[in-house]
Amino acid sequence: MRYIDYKTVLPRTVAGVLVFLIVILPVFTTNVITLSVFISSGIWAIAAMGFTLILRTGQFSLGQAAFMAIGGYTSAIFTVNIGWSFWPSFLLAGIVPGIIALIIGSIVLRVGGTYFSIITLALSEVVRIIAQQWESVTRGTRGLITSPPNPIVINGFEINFYASTVPYFYLMVLLVAITAVVFWQIGRSRIGGTFYSIAANPILAEHQGIPLMKYRVIAFTVAGVFTGFAGSLYAHSLTVITPYMLGLWQSIQIMIMSIVGGIGSLAGGPIIGSIVLYTFGIYLSRVEIYGIQQLLFGGVVVLVLLFLPKGTGLIDLWDRFWRKVIWREEEYEPDTPDD
Amino acid sequence: MPPVGIWIDGLIQSCTYMTMAFGMVLVFSILGILNWAHGQFYMLGAFVFYYAVTAAGIPFPVSLLISGVLVGGLGILVEKFIIERVNIPSAQGALYVTVATIALIFFFEGAASMIFGMQDKGLAMVLPGVLDLGSFSVSYQKIAVVIFTLVIMITMYIVLNHTKVGLAIRAAAQEPDAASLHGINVERLSLLVMGIGCALAAMAGSIMAPVFIINPFIGGIPMIMSLLAIVIGGLGSLTGAIVGGLILGFLNSVVAYHLSYFSEVVLFVLVIIILLVRPQGLFGASRK
Repeated sequence: MRYIDYKTVLPRTVAGVLVFLIVILPVFTTNVITLSVFISSGIWAIAAMGFTLILRTGQFSLGQAAFMAIGGYTSAIFTVNIGWSFWPSFLLAGIVPGIIALIIGSIVLRVGGTYFSIITLALSEVVRIIAQQWESVTRGTRGLITSPPNPIVINGFEINFYASTVPYFYLMVLLVAITAVVFWQIGRSRIGGTFYSIAANPILAEHQGIPLMKYRVIAFTVAGVFTGFAGSLYAHSLTVITPYMLGLWQSIQIMIMSIVGGIGSLAGGPIIGSIVLYTFGIYLSRVEIYGIQQLLFGGVVVLVLLFLPKGTGLIDLWDRFWRKVIWREEEYEPDTPDD
Repeated sequence: MPPVGIWIDGLIQSCTYMTMAFGMVLVFSILGILNWAHGQFYMLGAFVFYYAVTAAGIPFPVSLLISGVLVGGLGILVEKFIIERVNIPSAQGALYVTVATIALIFFFEGAASMIFGMQDKGLAMVLPGVLDLGSFSVSYQKIAVVIFTLVIMITMYIVLNHTKVGLAIRAAAQEPDAASLHGINVERLSLLVMGIGCALAAMAGSIMAPVFIINPFIGGIPMIMSLLAIVIGGLGSLTGAIVGGLILGFLNSVVAYHLSYFSEVVLFVLVIIILLVRPQGLFGASRK
């Protein structure tokens, strides 16, 4: 018989209750602003999870918002210009960024490292410029006005995206859940281990017969697909997509959310990071002094990097909170060799 | 053929990118990290220069030095209190430095817009006047940019090749461990190099301030462009940084003359092609 350790069960139960409370949030409030904050942070969480997956292979993408933009523009163009309904366009919004990530990844990932960061950064600028200049399709800086999906009627119960934000909220929850489960399974599976070994020691991994390029491209493509879905949801829940909505700063924001949340876990860290940082950013934007937002945002990130244990981020605070505050465990200090 | 003015503008842009990229590569060669907030030091330098010239009334060559020294000092503080602590010796160290310096971009831009305000500031009264050369004319400000860049490059050449500090820098860039075995304090040297790099960015910002406008967000474009210049030239190669800056500056203005906004797309595609043909850049050693 397995011994059940209450020290592991209790934190998980509390975390599960918190997640459950967030999921049934529309029962307590249907306030549009509160729900929109959660919808947006969920969307950023998906993008941050994609970033973390790429980071698992040791590559550092600074262009994840470009894939969100590609996904968002794909579904916006297909619904507005061509007149498809939402769901097939939504599906396409995952496929197109995936194909683009596959092509670009198989070209650019050959170099890797810092070069990869700079190239993906350049990619996000290229996407923005194309969206801005290709006026006949994207309407330039005026942006495309997207419409919500048509109401779905199931057994007389109508899911109406026009009437409230609640259906979007659940679409977001569903998408985050699917992404989290897929990424969590990737992390547990053989592929996840391979990713980790590629990052830890590329030369050794290559000598073990692991094709580096293949796994890097897989990670980049999977991240691209899910980021594309997130971008499509973003464009449709905000009912507009413009070139400046998803640019370089948003890519950096995704990166910071992932790192601050904690890159040790593929799903939990990015979700916590994006909820905390996005809500923080929203509350800061109410302050009237211009510039204090960026100042505090940057300051908090630097402080997190300076004072939290490296490699962990906010998600580690959860463990430490239970260990230190609740159980009052003695810290195990491994012997460190002197310099 | 584009008119002469376009070529002159290309030269001016090249000068900025060269100085910025030079500082970044210098920092990279010693510390092994890219300072992503380099463009923000450019912006801060321009602001310090602006206030030194307008509020304090200091003559402009002295203001240039003041801005270099002040912002260089700030760079040393950043290296001492942030980068050095975040840069843990493991595979993740470079990642944390990247995130920390990118967070500093937000921090400095926010601080600058709180302290200096969001309005565009101009410094057109520094070195007014135009040199008339018959079919075209050049303003004295642009001539000053070119002369300044030449002076900086020659100074850096002399410092790196004919002084003890320069020898130490080159040694530490090649083999940090062996250099420290020979009595070079690599940690102090990296503080110095960070100071020099940031001072170069600040002075580039200052000398460009009369030509362009000043606001808290001017740092982004020079930073991206000098990053691309570094990629073209090869990460870690000083010659590469200079040549990459030259190529990029001229291409940017000449291509923009023909294609307007799409010039940036052309530049990025060009950089990608260069990376595919020569992944280590034009002048990069095929290390690693």
